[in-house]
Amino acid sequence: MIRVDEVGKQFRSPRRRVQALDGVSFSVHSGEVFGLLGANGAGKTTLVKILLGLTRPSTGRVEVRSIDPRRPRARRRVGYLPEGHRFPGYLPGDAAMRLFGRLAGMDEATITRRTPELLDLVGLHERGTDRISRYSKGMTQRLGLACALLDNPEVLFLDEPTDGVDPVGRRHIRDVLLAARERGTTIFINSHLLSEVERTCDRVAILHQGRLLREASVEDLTRPTHRFRIRLAEGQHAPAACLDFFRAAATNGHIDVEVPDLDTLNRMLDGLRGERLLIAEVTAQRAALEDVFIELVGEERTP
Amino acid sequence: MKVWALVVDTWREVLARYTLLGFVIVSTLFLLVLTFALNLDIVDGSLAAGSLFGKAFDLHGETPIETVVTTGESAFAAMLYGLGVFLAIFATGSQVPNLVHRGTVDLYLSRPVSRTTLLLGRFVGAITLVLANLAFLCGGVFVVISLKTGVWNPRLLLAGGIIALVFLSYLGFMYLIGVLSGSTPLSIMLPYAIYIIAMPLAAHKHIAAAMDSRLAASVVHGLYWLLPKSGELGRDVVQLVMGKGEPSLMAMGTTLAFGAGCLAVAVAVFQRKSY
Repeated sequence: MIRVDEVGKQFRSPRRRVQALDGVSFSVHSGEVFGLLGANGAGKTTLVKILLGLTRPSTGRVEVRSIDPRRPRARRRVGYLPEGHRFPGYLPGDAAMRLFGRLAGMDEATITRRTPELLDLVGLHERGTDRISRYSKGMTQRLGLACALLDNPEVLFLDEPTDGVDPVGRRHIRDVLLAARERGTTIFINSHLLSEVERTCDRVAILHQGRLLREASVEDLTRPTHRFRIRLAEGQHAPAACLDFFRAAATNGHIDVEVPDLDTLNRMLDGLRGERLLIAEVTAQRAALEDVFIELVGEERTP
Repeated sequence: MKVWALVVDTWREVLARYTLLGFVIVSTLFLLVLTFALNLDIVDGSLAAGSLFGKAFDLHGETPIETVVTTGESAFAAMLYGLGVFLAIFATGSQVPNLVHRGTVDLYLSRPVSRTTLLLGRFVGAITLVLANLAFLCGGVFVVISLKTGVWNPRLLLAGGIIALVFLSYLGFMYLIGVLSGSTPLSIMLPYAIYIIAMPLAAHKHIAAAMDSRLAASVVHGLYWLLPKSGELGRDVVQLVMGKGEPSLMAMGTTLAFGAGCLAVAVAVFQRKSY
């Protein structure tokens, strides 16, 4: 669906040159939710702009549905929510959707049908006739998402989609994206909110200073660790001696422990059972995407 | 449909930013002043007495009304030429800078619309806007004078066409500046500067003859041929309204060529530019 092949981008100014992207290659499959991660200035937005034909790559090539994205037809049924977007403040929300629907080549009947549906989906049905200049940042972000979904896109590019959105709004946006994935939309998310990406994406690529550090599934990156969480029955507490012996910590009714092997874990469980404690749940902990990201970027920064 | 969407967008923008309202208010004020300031007393097809802003005309005996009206209209046409172009540049100067603003241009360019269509769609929108306003301004002057005097001089309406042509040329230039710089102040100031610089170039032969060096003289001639013929076309507007001559095809052609050239470069730059 999306192919990025040895893409490089250099920005030149009279004073200096900035290598924003350097030989980046990866591909995104149809129906996948792909996350592009990176710190600020990693080159994420530049790459998304190249994928939409807004910026020319200095080297390499990209394809969206096997078409060069600089061709207008490559952007048919492609939705985009840019970072730091500036919708025409003079337009009401529904008029902005009509404008962008017309520019997408949609017929009037479809625009008229889809606009209230999508405004309702993103929770703006009562504010659709208000001018965008009167919207909060979160509302504008939701309008942007509605505009991006207007053409029932096959590919959806979202650059920091939850930027400036409160937790409830984030949850709402995540639900909308998951519903789009269910319909088979390929989603490309650009974000530095790793927990959001972890919850939403199937696969991620990590960019650092314009170079691709890693590309893998979220499952592979967040590999199981030797950390376990043990939950005891309601109202029961592990003896301090047992916790100290296994260097475990009790927090909020859980016991968190890191063990060298399964044998040690089972010895600890035997110890707890020996105290006549009821074990309700034992969960293997996975590395958070954030930990993996910091580890990878940290390694890269260390000379 | 896409061009139509851009034309509608242009109109909504100028309506929301009160630019159109400002244009209409200034034009209406001009028409009201004309309506109430011009007083004519016509007897047997001749002007017996007349005044402008309360000051009586010096008629030196009986003067045919047509002569007086066309002379007066030519003076108004000269004013309209300056006012019309001034207002039109002001009304459309922010168009391209607003379009290419970071965060806005992404929204437009990410749609399946070519950059050429996008820029030319906005250009068409600006043309419709300015033509409507010029029609109101020039048509209003034509109607007011004609109703007051009973002399219907359609050449005044043709003068509106020349004003529109000159504006089109500057609009092309504004688009180039807008695409290159993304700055509204520059997109307004530079066309005014060109307009003023081009005025005296109508006398380029005299200016060049007074130059010390051949290089300087060549620069003057070069600027004359390159820039819109603001001075000559202003003079042609007056002559046309008075019925004393036709506008110079060379002046109109080179003025249009300047605008078309600027617009073509603007489109080419816009096509290649990274946002």
